Amino acid sequence: MGKYTSGQSHVHPGWRWVGERGLRVATGDATLAHYDVLISRKFTEIEDIILADGSLLLILRQGATVSEGLRTALLAPSADVPATTGKLHEIAVEYGGAVGPDLPALAELAGMDTAAYISSHAAADYVVAFLGFQPGFPYLRGLPAALHAPRRASPRLQVAAGSVAIGGTYTGIYPAGGPGGWQIIGRTASVLFDPQRAAPALLMPGDRVRFVPR
Amino acid sequence: MIEVLQAGLCDLVMDRGRPGWAALGVPAGGAADPAALVAANRLVGNNLAAAGLEIILKGPTLRFPQGGVVALTGARFAASRSSGMAVPWNETLVLAAGETLSLGQAMGGCRCWLALGGGLATPPVMNSRSIFLPAGFGGHLGRPLRAGDVLASGNLVGSVHLCRARAPSSARDAPLRVVAGPQAGQIDDAGLAAFFAGIYRVEAASDRRGLRLRGAAVTHQRAELPSQGVLPGAVQVPPDGQPIILGWDGPVTGGYPVIAGVVTVDLPRLAQLRPGDAVRFVTMELEAARGLAEEQWEIEDMA
Repeated sequence: MGKYTSGQSHVHPGWRWVGERGLRVATGDATLAHYDVLISRKFTEIEDIILADGSLLLILRQGATVSEGLRTALLAPSADVPATTGKLHEIAVEYGGAVGPDLPALAELAGMDTAAYISSHAAADYVVAFLGFQPGFPYLRGLPAALHAPRRASPRLQVAAGSVAIGGTYTGIYPAGGPGGWQIIGRTASVLFDPQRAAPALLMPGDRVRFVPR
Repeated sequence: MIEVLQAGLCDLVMDRGRPGWAALGVPAGGAADPAALVAANRLVGNNLAAAGLEIILKGPTLRFPQGGVVALTGARFAASRSSGMAVPWNETLVLAAGETLSLGQAMGGCRCWLALGGGLATPPVMNSRSIFLPAGFGGHLGRPLRAGDVLASGNLVGSVHLCRARAPSSARDAPLRVVAGPQAGQIDDAGLAAFFAGIYRVEAASDRRGLRLRGAAVTHQRAELPSQGVLPGAVQVPPDGQPIILGWDGPVTGGYPVIAGVVTVDLPRLAQLRPGDAVRFVTMELEAARGLAEEQWEIEDMA
């Protein structure tokens, strides 16, 4: 096969190319901080930015290359960047029953009764790490370790909009109905995504979330 | 104005897409071959950002109550006009008031684009008229066209010039050129050998979200991967080893290893792959890929 290396960037060993327009930058715990810097600096070579789990994907404009300024900003130690001050959202949730069919099994897996599971889920402070899967689908960091749970072995063909779910170390909310593999523990009436709103996504990267049982 | 007398398989309103919303989980989307749509717009004298129709495999029957200036680019479809006149591709066409344009089956390739003078005037959503079908917004009411739909168009500015376009000559059967992906190092030698030696077939379950391929399994060590950003052309390897080339409306994040990325200038070729077509891959260096020039459409006045 010869050398078929992992799309390694010449610029930095921790960067990888996803096609020749996508630069994946490993950002670890500083992903949001790096994102804030890139947004505030408005680098003209960047067409779009995708946040993910410990990395950013910068989509460069066609034909553009990484400028020295962008390179420096990406390599800057995270101490230089402003702390994210996310907006706090309280999301009312109906837990369990028909709208949270996986709650009993997850409570059992966690070794607690459903009331304790709900209290634990609602007591935690969450941060929106990134949005993906569907428009406006928040991956919320901060799920207590006892509540971590694998995705379902086979995805459901139809998950209702507003379903509050657990997937691995994350909790999230399905903005729209459709197939989904996360474990469903409840439902909210909040509208997570509306393309007609000036701010289409209710929750933005860096925002903080608390769930309020109702 | 366009009246839809009979819908095609999946007729979608498209412009050049909506880059800039990926952090919200919304891909840029837009025409699968933006240069082909832009060429159609140029043939009818439109702004290059105007919206037209992206038509796949079997086209619609459209009536133009006030007539109009239209152009078709991309794959050639069987086509006829109620006037009995010819329906050339890559040329400015002037339709009389009340004329009907019927598009049948694609005669090769998969997608064509129709531009109408003035552009389709569906309401923009998040700065674009392109439909994003997976979430049902944009385009005409967030869905493919149906019989009975009426699409408004903008005003034609200036006079009509009859033009002809020369499409770039793409090597249809050449392998897709790819650069190594971020997880190429996790694919074992047998998996890489299968990927680059294999002939894959496009599966029927393919759409604008992704082209699903079937062929030699790309064997790899399965490992839980954190979600990472992905973009059109990224080639994912799910647990069964059957590659998926992410399309224009694909997710912005994915958790499968990405073995390769189709080079940008080859992305328009993905638009013309239909179920059953053969796909092969060949690797190239990143710097070489960056040096590839996008193939140009040439537009000239018809004397």
